[in-house]
Amino acid sequence: MSAATHETEHHTSLGLDNRKLLMWIFLASECLFFGSLLSTYLIFKGESLSGPGTDIFAFEITSISTFVLLMSSLSMVLAVYGAQHGQLGLMKLMLLCTILLGLVFLGFQVYEFKTFASEGLTLSTNQFGASFFVLTGFHGCHVGGGVIYLGSLLIASVRRNGIGKETPLYIDIGGLYWHFVDIVWIVLFTVVYLIPAY
Amino acid sequence: MAEMDAVHDAHDEHPTTTIREYLLIGLALSVITAIELVMSLYDDALGAILIPGLLIFSAIKFIIVVAMFMHLKFDSIRFTQIFTFGFVLAAALLTAVVVLFAFDASDAIGGGFIGDPIEHHD
Repeated sequence: MSAATHETEHHTSLGLDNRKLLMWIFLASECLFFGSLLSTYLIFKGESLSGPGTDIFAFEITSISTFVLLMSSLSMVLAVYGAQHGQLGLMKLMLLCTILLGLVFLGFQVYEFKTFASEGLTLSTNQFGASFFVLTGFHGCHVGGGVIYLGSLLIASVRRNGIGKETPLYIDIGGLYWHFVDIVWIVLFTVVYLIPAY
Repeated sequence: MAEMDAVHDAHDEHPTTTIREYLLIGLALSVITAIELVMSLYDDALGAILIPGLLIFSAIKFIIVVAMFMHLKFDSIRFTQIFTFGFVLAAALLTAVVVLFAFDASDAIGGGFIGDPIEHHD
């Protein structure tokens, strides 16, 4: 009996796959993580006594990066669709698209951070800078981790034997993580960039 | 046979959403984002409805992605319960922290802690 067969025969008390259950529990904990960072940002927003504030934001750049991340979420769900319907070519193509769009988003983030630093806003400038860079920096790290995660799935899928018979499950779990990164940015984009300082 | 069970589980769970429907959802998300951008550019004209409006649109996008892209609408109710629990806890935490600092009479942001005597600045 192969290890994969032995693995899939494991029965769970809830009737759900443990790996998918773990990802959902992880995402629930990540809600708390980002909730705490966001609350810290909100209490310091508009309270800095010196240094640049929210007037430093460039909406054009952030709007484009937001659209890029939204489209990456679309390509990710199409990759999951491809995996679940046996269309492995579609799955691999959409995985590649998602990774590339994620890298583009990270590129925009790096450019934004460098621009802010050149204009005098850094991690140590003021409370706004500290909370802003920690919040968006951690989100960027999650995007980077997601790119690596999806990259590993893509590499595994193009190997001779592919990921295996549980390909839909693995791609689905990867999709959950990526979509969560996107919904965090949906919230961050609105609260950090769109809502003016009060 | 047994190893197909996990694959069947995944296939059984997968929604009947078509590629066309996914593309339409993506278009809807883009349109909502564009509306939010336009709203933020006219913040003076919108006044008090700007922030609630932005939050409502943000919530709509959030729900669409969670329900349709993350398939929570089609998956087990357990996943919904788990994610909702974490989200509600995070929202409560955020609300509590913001309210605490918004209505803090000891001026903790300007210096001094809640336990310190209140200093009056001229």
